[in-house]
Amino acid sequence: MPFFFVLLLAPIGVAIALYRRNPRRFLDGPTEDVPLRLLRWAISLLSPQRAEWGQAMLGELAHLDGRMRRMRFAVGCTGAALTLPPWGRAGAGLWAMTVVTAASFAIYAGLVVDFGLGTGGWILLAVFAIICAGYLLGTSALLRRSGVALPGLLGGVFATLVWLGLSGLTAVDQVTFIPSGWQKGVTMLAVPAAIGAAGALWRRDPAAGRRAARLAALTAGLLELLYASIAVAILGGGGPPDQDGGYTIRGTVSDRLGNNIAHLAINTVFIALVGWAAAALTGYLVRRPPTPDAPLAADPTRET
Amino acid sequence: MQRNRPPSPQTVKVLRALAAEPARWRYGYDLGTEVDLKSGSLYPILVRLADRGLLETSWEPSVDSRPPRHLYRLTGAGREFVAALTAAHGARTAARPRPHRRVSEA
Repeated sequence: MPFFFVLLLAPIGVAIALYRRNPRRFLDGPTEDVPLRLLRWAISLLSPQRAEWGQAMLGELAHLDGRMRRMRFAVGCTGAALTLPPWGRAGAGLWAMTVVTAASFAIYAGLVVDFGLGTGGWILLAVFAIICAGYLLGTSALLRRSGVALPGLLGGVFATLVWLGLSGLTAVDQVTFIPSGWQKGVTMLAVPAAIGAAGALWRRDPAAGRRAARLAALTAGLLELLYASIAVAILGGGGPPDQDGGYTIRGTVSDRLGNNIAHLAINTVFIALVGWAAAALTGYLVRRPPTPDAPLAADPTRET
Repeated sequence: MQRNRPPSPQTVKVLRALAAEPARWRYGYDLGTEVDLKSGSLYPILVRLADRGLLETSWEPSVDSRPPRHLYRLTGAGREFVAALTAAHGARTAARPRPHRRVSEA
């Protein structure tokens, strides 16, 4: 029950933080249109060597009229900014996460085919593909941020190892594990808080800590999803009956796959939210001036 | 190490459009419209061409408080590259055997 309070109170905390960051904008709403805000966000992901190209995109957008034309241009530039090299070490991280996600998807698809989960199974598979794509997109955006890749990825691995340590490593452990109260406290509060705090201390910047927590949430979610998918593939419809499992082999497999997706969502939300709060609190306690990591700080072509 | 893969058809379109009037500076959006490429495809091509020294960039002075626009044109090396590309394409076309005409078509 206390964990539901965290979920309920978190949006209030986020709203307070946004208000404190910029009260005028919070009350008046954004002063720039969606394409411009999207493009500003996208070019902040570019490496410093490519900052000039970000300004080139902004300059071009400023001379375009028509909402749809601006939107199409901004979306295209966002895609380009998300993929433009150089990636440096972040490229290896993205490749690794892509392999992990693709493996989970392949196992899921194989189980849908193997157990003939029917139309519902295919619909869930499509939803699963969209979720995976969203996770990878978020991962690629966060990996491009300066000083986020290493603490974020390590944090995700750390959270996964703690989860596996508590649940057990066997396939049966994975499908039957229901954490007790203190185990929930560790996996949903202590570990995410440690990741957020460590991320903030890593760069002496609460913003970097918040991003590291988000990246750790995505990483841990995808890693645990892969492990749990392998467990379902090993057991199939066999193994011990689930507490809320299906009554047929198909139903059991489908139920276990659904549990994995539910765990993915809960895990990601808790690590991101609690880590975010811990990073903000650490930043407040440490009280060091943040280091700017976006090339926008020296933006010579700011649109007025 | 710089890789010298053959340019993609989209890159060739951009190069040819720039080579049509090599002295003229071009805007990114106009160039994309001319060669029918979305911004998501155009800018990575422009970045690669600039990295290879085939494209020259400049900033147009700001007007009406709007930010300046980036301008593009081929460098000398870029013009030579397009010329070599055109020559290679011509040589390939000439070397390709013509299809035999059937007697009934003659």
